[in-house]
Amino acid sequence: MNVASVTRSKIIWLVVAIIGVAVAFVATPNASDAVAASVLFVVIVVSAAGFSSASFRQWHPVLARAAKVLVVTCATLFATFFFSETTNFNLATGAAMSVTLVGLSFLTGISGQISLGNGAFMGVGAFVMAMWANHHATTPIVLALLIAIAGGAVVGLLLGLPATRLRGPYLAGMTLAFAVAFDAILNYFNSWTGGDGGLQLPRSTNPPGWLLRLFSHGVAPLTANTLWLTDITIVATGVAFFFMANLFASRVGRAMRLVRDNEVGAELVGVNLARTRVLAFVISSSYAALGGALWTLINNSATPSTYSFALSIVILSVLVIGGIGTIPGALIGGLIYAYSTNVIAWFTARTGLNPQGNLASQLNGIIFGGLLIVTMMFAPRGVAGLYRTFRRRQIIKGPDVNQPVEETYAEA
Amino acid sequence: MIRVSNLTVAYGAVKALTDVSFEAPTGAITAVLGANGAGKTTLLRTLSGLKAPLAGSITRDDVELVGMRTENIARLGIAHVPEGRGVIGEFTVEENLRLGALNAKVSAKDSLATQYERFPILGERRRQHADQLSGGERQILSMARALIAQPTSLLLDEPSLGLAPLITAQIMATIKELCASDGLTVILVEQNASSALRIADRAIVLNVGHVVAYDSAAVVAADEKLRQYYLGMAV
Amino acid sequence: MDAFLTSRVISDLLGGMTNGMIYGLVALSLVLVWRSTGILNFAQGAMPMFAVYVGMVALGHYFGYWVCVGIALFAGFVIGAGTERILVRPLYGKPEINPIVVMVGFLTVLEAVAAAIWSSVPRGLPSPFSPIDYRLGGLPLAVSPFSLYEIITSLAVMAAVAMLFRYTNLGLQLRASALAPEVSRLLGVRVNRMLTLGWTLSTGVGTITAILVSSNFFTGLTPQVMDGIFAFGFIAAAVGGLDSPVGSIVAGVVMGIILQFVGDYVNSNAIILAAVAILIVSLMARPNGVFSPVRTRRV
Repeated sequence: MNVASVTRSKIIWLVVAIIGVAVAFVATPNASDAVAASVLFVVIVVSAAGFSSASFRQWHPVLARAAKVLVVTCATLFATFFFSETTNFNLATGAAMSVTLVGLSFLTGISGQISLGNGAFMGVGAFVMAMWANHHATTPIVLALLIAIAGGAVVGLLLGLPATRLRGPYLAGMTLAFAVAFDAILNYFNSWTGGDGGLQLPRSTNPPGWLLRLFSHGVAPLTANTLWLTDITIVATGVAFFFMANLFASRVGRAMRLVRDNEVGAELVGVNLARTRVLAFVISSSYAALGGALWTLINNSATPSTYSFALSIVILSVLVIGGIGTIPGALIGGLIYAYSTNVIAWFTARTGLNPQGNLASQLNGIIFGGLLIVTMMFAPRGVAGLYRTFRRRQIIKGPDVNQPVEETYAEA
Repeated sequence: MIRVSNLTVAYGAVKALTDVSFEAPTGAITAVLGANGAGKTTLLRTLSGLKAPLAGSITRDDVELVGMRTENIARLGIAHVPEGRGVIGEFTVEENLRLGALNAKVSAKDSLATQYERFPILGERRRQHADQLSGGERQILSMARALIAQPTSLLLDEPSLGLAPLITAQIMATIKELCASDGLTVILVEQNASSALRIADRAIVLNVGHVVAYDSAAVVAADEKLRQYYLGMAV
Repeated sequence: MDAFLTSRVISDLLGGMTNGMIYGLVALSLVLVWRSTGILNFAQGAMPMFAVYVGMVALGHYFGYWVCVGIALFAGFVIGAGTERILVRPLYGKPEINPIVVMVGFLTVLEAVAAAIWSSVPRGLPSPFSPIDYRLGGLPLAVSPFSLYEIITSLAVMAAVAMLFRYTNLGLQLRASALAPEVSRLLGVRVNRMLTLGWTLSTGVGTITAILVSSNFFTGLTPQVMDGIFAFGFIAAAVGGLDSPVGSIVAGVVMGIILQFVGDYVNSNAIILAAVAILIVSLMARPNGVFSPVRTRRV
């Protein structure tokens, strides 16, 4: 890398940081939040840049990933103490969404299977969590989350088995049918799922006594419920991302990419096609279930109307914009999800549109749908992909028009 | 007559053809020979408008072909039988032929009848799906499909590919007959240099995109250096 | 005999068949766009919906039903052709998820724009056919002038499309352009034009379906009206086989009948469940659709 390209890359990081700060100011409700968010953003960007150095990654890839995840998670946890409740709530919502997104990113980007039903899988996790909590209120949170994940895995298996023999449009359609039917399924079993009103968690989740005692000198900062829940979510998200990062780069991940790109070749090398595809499906549905379970935790309830087909579309949209098949893309998508309503509301206020009018209420749909189209046509690998393409062009001088797609996925 | 002048074609940074020039006279067979990767298929694809050249011109009877759409070039009467035959497997033999006949100046029924007469095997198999034909039958089908529109020029890309020597000989003989009877301008791309040179009038030898020989077929066939280094023939 | 014809079973059968025709039409339009351009159009319900809204505008100016139908149909053709040229053309050759995502985005935008301009309040397209069932011996037969209108229109459209594909040169070119675009070009087929035509036709069929649905006294027109119908139509196409127009129509009709019985004898929630169950079961048995031709190939 010559001097010019290094400087260029630093300028790009700077521009990204400035954009991030600007968005933080627009999206957060008050100034102190915005400042804290900006600081956090800069820390994340710097650490991502630092830990991306090729030499560190080559030396011990797992450790490099762990370090990255750890730094980002801890920094975010630290920042939550400075955020207001609204911002923490949004952050937690976005983090849980990014867990779902990273699962879908894996399924579609790495395994090449299209799924339009991840909103429904989130619903599965959400309702399993709520139903279990209603019957066994004393289960520790971690265990309850694991049970919700298991629920998602089972449903993923059920749907994944027929899915193995389907190609593109048929698979997309089957997952679409599941997403559309989910509402009816919930309604059908409404004695369990609480019908239209959904389920409430039996009692609000409080931080455990031992943790409070740890911080008992001075102010007990974890007593605020939202803060505690946000922190749980962030830790869960960190763990989930760590596993996924390793999965992307592992033998399993490579096998999936092979199945996606070259079926015959994969079979010749001894990869079991059906099993690999089902595994990808199960992983993605488990991740989505975790996301939904976290949402139940954060909101203290699970309602059917949240997990509609529209949610599946939003999930796909934010992931495409963030960058399908990448891990940072899932994070970006989660952020977009959490803050899009705020940003759009700010925009509406600025341009003097009537907030009750027809146009304003549909603005969400118009903007998301429009972004989806524009992104897919001009930047199909999303924001994360744009950055990677840019970096590739610096490192490899010469014709790079047909870079094989695998190369961008190799970085976790 | 088809005239190619200073044709340069590239795929990204890789030049497939560099400054290629030659003439394919009307009513004659011009063979384009060379090893794998010499640029022979690229030449035909550029002639048909499937690939745009970086530089140079292609004219057919002084009409410039570069920049024209493929389907318009085909409608001018320049028929291209692609590499691998390009037979539509999901269609029946008759549907494949009807597709070719859309361009014809005669009615479909008459054109079909002519082809069935010329190639009885197609008539026998007319209702079968094309993917059930053997390699040689498919070659005949794709040629008949190209001929059904009564073209004035015929571009053939490796017709002998994957065929047994006996079938190859029959097909080459058929090409020679057709050229003579219909007065076609034929450009024949072949790796099988010996069979091609037997029926060709002129020959061009390409090597990695450059023309290394351009002469009458007899002269090219007799040249020992060409035979040994570029054509893989016995010396 | 009268009692039999007006019985619950026959009523369900007739009602289901009428609905099934609609699903079959949607399935047909999906098959059309799939066979002519190799893309599954997720906006196949939303595009016609928008076209009917455009036709509605004419209604506001006191034009009659058939004028609105004509305008809607024309709008459908324009939308179909425009979508192909602007949104779909740049995506040929890209990974197959790209057009799916773009069409899903387009669907979202269309519904949002329609709601923004015309609001989500249901509107009706008043057809000249009465929705009141005929009576046989004093009891209602599950057939009304309107349902006859639906059935006859559907059958006419299906027959027209089938004949187009099977017997005409245009149909041959449409199929060839989808199966082997490069070879077709070499044979002089104007492939780009064929691709646009495929979309135009398919949106036209979809618009006819949307017109029928909007003219239905019991449904009316909303931005979301075609969502459920698209889902059922898609299931019919997947079950019957995306390559088989006849298969998907048959699947649509059969599905319509089965679902009518399910809705009547079980409960309305079970309808979509039954549809999904049908989809999963049939895809497990025949991943490419029940009626897709299974042929051995000589390698």
